[in-house]
Amino acid sequence: MITYVARRVLASVPTLWGVATVVFVMARLLPGDPARVIAGVLASPEDVERIRQSMGLDKPLLVQYGYFLSSLLRFNLGTSAHTGQPVIEEIASRLPYTIELAAIALAIAVVVGLLAGIAAAIRRNTMLDLLISSFSVFGVSMPVYWLGLMMIIVFAIDFRLLPAAGAEEPTSIVMPALTLALFSLGLIARMTRSSMLEVLGQDFVRTARAKGAPIRTVVFRHALRNALLPIMTVIGLQFGSLLGGAVVTETVFAWPGVGRLLVDSIFFRDYPVMQGLVLMFGTTFVVINLLVDLLYAYVDPRIHYT
Amino acid sequence: MSKRFLALLAALLVLSSCGGSGPGGPKQGDKLTIAIGVDPDFLDPMRQQTTTIQNIVSMVVETLVFVDPDGKYKPLLATSWQPAADGLSWTFTLRSGVKFSDGTPFNAAAVKANFDRILTPDNICPLCGAFRAVQSVDAIDDTHVKLNLKTSVAPMLGLMTEVTFGFLAPSTIVKGTDNYKDQEKPVGTGPYLYSGDRVKGDHLSVTRNDQYWGAKPSYKTQMFKIVPEAASREALVRSGGADVILLPPASDIPAMQKDPTLKVILAQGDRTIFLAFNQSSKGNPLLQKPEVRRALNYAVNKEQIVKSILFGAASPMDAPMASSLFGYCKTGPYAYDPVKAKQMLADAGASNLSIKFIAPTGRYIQDFQAAQAIANDLTAVGVKVDGPTTKDWPSYLGTINVAPANSSVDLHLLGWAPGFLDASQAMTQFQSSQWPTKGLATSYYKNAEVDTLLAKANSESDQAARQADYCAASKLIWNDAPWIFLWVQRFPVVTTAKVTGVQTIPNESFYTVYASPA
Repeated sequence: MITYVARRVLASVPTLWGVATVVFVMARLLPGDPARVIAGVLASPEDVERIRQSMGLDKPLLVQYGYFLSSLLRFNLGTSAHTGQPVIEEIASRLPYTIELAAIALAIAVVVGLLAGIAAAIRRNTMLDLLISSFSVFGVSMPVYWLGLMMIIVFAIDFRLLPAAGAEEPTSIVMPALTLALFSLGLIARMTRSSMLEVLGQDFVRTARAKGAPIRTVVFRHALRNALLPIMTVIGLQFGSLLGGAVVTETVFAWPGVGRLLVDSIFFRDYPVMQGLVLMFGTTFVVINLLVDLLYAYVDPRIHYT
Repeated sequence: MSKRFLALLAALLVLSSCGGSGPGGPKQGDKLTIAIGVDPDFLDPMRQQTTTIQNIVSMVVETLVFVDPDGKYKPLLATSWQPAADGLSWTFTLRSGVKFSDGTPFNAAAVKANFDRILTPDNICPLCGAFRAVQSVDAIDDTHVKLNLKTSVAPMLGLMTEVTFGFLAPSTIVKGTDNYKDQEKPVGTGPYLYSGDRVKGDHLSVTRNDQYWGAKPSYKTQMFKIVPEAASREALVRSGGADVILLPPASDIPAMQKDPTLKVILAQGDRTIFLAFNQSSKGNPLLQKPEVRRALNYAVNKEQIVKSILFGAASPMDAPMASSLFGYCKTGPYAYDPVKAKQMLADAGASNLSIKFIAPTGRYIQDFQAAQAIANDLTAVGVKVDGPTTKDWPSYLGTINVAPANSSVDLHLLGWAPGFLDASQAMTQFQSSQWPTKGLATSYYKNAEVDTLLAKANSESDQAARQADYCAASKLIWNDAPWIFLWVQRFPVVTTAKVTGVQTIPNESFYTVYASPA
């Protein structure tokens, strides 16, 4: 087990190196001059050149790349070209908001999605199933942007129940979390339903029912456990797409997380912040994939990692 | 709890709920919430370069001169000023008895320390521009400062209204320390204080400076909420989550104007929106002909586009600059006349004119939507329009802000707003010395006579002569038509009916210092 984890962690190094390289190259492929953005449109060519030098952007690309990698090895993400603050501080001040948002959204999506999927599977081809399935399709297909604005109109403007935007009040999280959860919720519910249906038709379930096991035991202990592997994969992938969906949700609800920081950094051609954030997203993906793989072994004892 | 204490408490509650500073005065308020679209990158007056941020910083940091909501220059930290006869120096008399909020005095030494700082070559000052003509700063005595100039700067007073040239307490900008390059906790003399109450990406608050030398504001706190999405800002002001919002979605302006719980201010602005013709040799050669450019000015139905696409948030241009600027004189308009446009194009041998057209998205009010309508108008008079296509802002700037030899489009949409209400900055668009990459005169327009007139107007100290020179230059420019002159954008601000006294300054600034509950 430990060797397996160690191997996986080691194997993630080339992945992250790849991510770092791709973002480094892509940032520089974008047209637009970061030094000009910082110097302002009124600045003289000399001023722009001076700023370019101070940012190290006058050096050949390979030199910049070498410098970038060697800083990375020392866990130094550099300073934001846009605000002059260390990238790590910029991210650290925003990350808790995104984690809070994504975690709550994921919790809602997992709990509600699993239960709804199970209910739909057990009561398949009933009104309940139809209702849950339609709702899942709605959740998967509604654009986050539109849904967010509709929720704002209904709950903030018409009923004045929740704050329209921002993160100051304790209830501020409700709408962004629900909006963000809905897509994953729909996906998890659909996955759970189909995976459960597959398992429910199998012999061991019939045997369990035949020996008189209570329905609850059959569903949760026998069926769900066997149906869980594909669902877990979806959930793991969802956490990543929640971080992505947070970009739009954070903009609509003015939630001060890293999603908006990423958008801002792209618009300002703030290479260090772009690089830092993409690396962070990459690392998150790698870690979550690893955790999901390890959880497989827990859920299905037949899986061993050596 | 004793009965007496309860009675006192009740009395206090009654008092505080009545508020008010006596009959006739504005009511006292607790907190004013203003939703803005951008998160401040720099709060250091020297380093910022965005109007919204200037608005916030100028509540904390004051300048020598103030431009009031009527666009007039008023004394602020300077009580009077005097240019030398040759225009090569300016002497300012400072207001005495003013203190920075950290208790240190505001005086000539403080002015010198600040000006020396922004002129330090290694410091980044994106908006310093014309101020770089300052050679040295002399503190004559405690209340007199003299600026010695390399070349005369006619719009010096306008310049001195910009918060870039505002004053931080010298103790907070010590040479050799990091805050000499960037001071993110500005300590000034203004009506509000900034204590660092900020969550990046979420909000920033300033609190009333009770030691302020001038009239005290009504609201104890003003909070700026950062809400990038226009529709969400609208939701905030409609739901009571904000008292004031900047730049609502243009398409909802008519509906908000009908809502009795809201007040819509379509403030006069100074931002001209235009289509710049590429007049370099890399552009379409037909665009070198003024008669072709004039024809296209007749081809665009500005009134209709302002009405139906900008929802009234602009006024068609009738001169190369906004009417709120010193130096403006009316030279137009180009009335919509597609028949005439078509005829003029035919006469100029440009019947099968073909142009490549780009426009930004979301930079100006309804920019790309307007560009699409304009493309239709141009097609209607027989022009073959390739576009409009769009790009994100840095890419866009990277496409148009290039040396003439690298230019790649024939026509692009751009907005230009001087930081202070004077023609000098507006007219850089028509100076051949300002062609990219030296400046942002992206139409590569050159008229030697205009160059001479503008150079003269930028440096002479006789204001009447300046006015005349700008006017003469404007007439030449209008006739040369280096742009399709579109409109002067208004600055939409929406407040709830519960707030009064929100003012605007015609350079896209809001002024909420003396706002109060209605």
